[in-house]
Amino acid sequence: ENISDFSLNITDCTQVVVPEEVFFTVAAAGILENLLVLIAVVRNKNLHLPMYFFICSLAISDMLGSLYKTLENIFIILCKMGYLTRRGDFEKKLDDAMDSMFILSLLGSIFSLLAIAADRYITIFYALRYHNIMTLRRALVILAIIWTFCAGSSIAIALFSYEAATVIPFTILFPLMMFFILCLYVHMFLLARSHAKKIASLPTSTVHQRTNMKGAITLTIFLGVFLCCWAPFVLHILLAKFCPHNPYCACYMSIFHVNGTLIMCNAIIDPMIFAFRSPELRSTFKKMFCCAR
Amino acid sequence: MSALRLISNRTSQQALSNSDYTWEYEYYEYGPVSFEGLKAHKYSIVIGFWVGLAVFVIFMFFVLTLLTKTGAPHQDNADPSEKRFRMNSFVADFGRPLESERVFSRQIAEESRSLFHFSINEVEHLDKAKQSQKGSGLESNIHFHEVPRSSGMFEEDLNCLTKFNIPNFVNTEQNSSLGEDDLLISEPPIILESKSIMQSSHRILD
Repeated sequence: ENISDFSLNITDCTQVVVPEEVFFTVAAAGILENLLVLIAVVRNKNLHLPMYFFICSLAISDMLGSLYKTLENIFIILCKMGYLTRRGDFEKKLDDAMDSMFILSLLGSIFSLLAIAADRYITIFYALRYHNIMTLRRALVILAIIWTFCAGSSIAIALFSYEAATVIPFTILFPLMMFFILCLYVHMFLLARSHAKKIASLPTSTVHQRTNMKGAITLTIFLGVFLCCWAPFVLHILLAKFCPHNPYCACYMSIFHVNGTLIMCNAIIDPMIFAFRSPELRSTFKKMFCCAR
Repeated sequence: MSALRLISNRTSQQALSNSDYTWEYEYYEYGPVSFEGLKAHKYSIVIGFWVGLAVFVIFMFFVLTLLTKTGAPHQDNADPSEKRFRMNSFVADFGRPLESERVFSRQIAEESRSLFHFSINEVEHLDKAKQSQKGSGLESNIHFHEVPRSSGMFEEDLNCLTKFNIPNFVNTEQNSSLGEDDLLISEPPIILESKSIMQSSHRILD
């Protein structure tokens, strides 16, 4: 504690503290929203489709992220009130478990987004064979594989979190996946464009063409939100590993709590841009709330 | 007194969260960080990172916008009923109901399956007869939309799909000899083939 006090000069970058109320509100909203999505999919038999299972997987990983942050905050409050010591063995193990939950959430999010993109890709490029390719059982198997892999990697990363060998693959995986997802969607766009061109050149159609930006906006929102919410944290891990003593890096790391809040905001935004876009899910929600009243 | 206590609470909270931060990331304990002699602003990494991220997202948006431009010549058709005669270049809308869905929505059955369905829809207007007589009025929406539907309606939708050579696109992966021109020229026979494909996909669905 002396050391941290010593480094706290007025000109230094002090930790940017997010008020606890904001933290808990954002986390609670994220958990509730994703829980609603899960309940809606479970209750409505129409939604037992591969696409919705992947959306559920995304909802679960978002929930885990918010849950982690909530637990961590509760933990810190308990430490403040003196119920838990800061250097005990039990606390260290608990901390490791929570770290692995968080990394599980990040990996789960990335792979769920990948699964959603791949599912859409198959829907487009193999439209008539989609039901043969993506059966319900296959979707569940894919999800099981994804989550087993994520669980294993997260435990491994949490145990060996301060080795370069785990930090580097972790930070490389992130942009690699984003790039791959981007490529899938771009390919889908190109197909759509060539279709539109073909339709335009049909002899019987008198066409009036204009650029429609909805696709570009939608995809930018998808990937932009994910990037803006997770990339700060990934950069934090990189900087914490490779330049903890550099003042610039230290200043970046001082906004750690803001980065954590961003991750929880991602948990709130994701259902809006994936789950709530489906009319069937929205009608299920309405039914649930109307019946509750 | 209370103000002092507030300040001391705040600093202790900060110190605690800092030391908690220290505890969770042990390497941060190694030593104090000196902030003297900085050439650039101390938050330069933060600012640089966010500016870079914003630039990247905007760049991605522009690239995607360029991709969505179909680039076909703009033909002005002074037709008042633009709803029927206008063709959107494409609407990639993941999961949102579109005008075409209003056409189909009447036939939505409760117990039907939901499909996450990419369709290049030739959405002919409700009074199809009029349109075919006029010989125009294609509204084509390429969209992702998810519509609960009965198998009967899927048949209609599939009809639209097959008219636009989706099977050929599916086969393009294996049969690269089919060029884009071939698809256009061979349109009439494909409509005949479409019925058999429709039946086979019916079997798949059922």
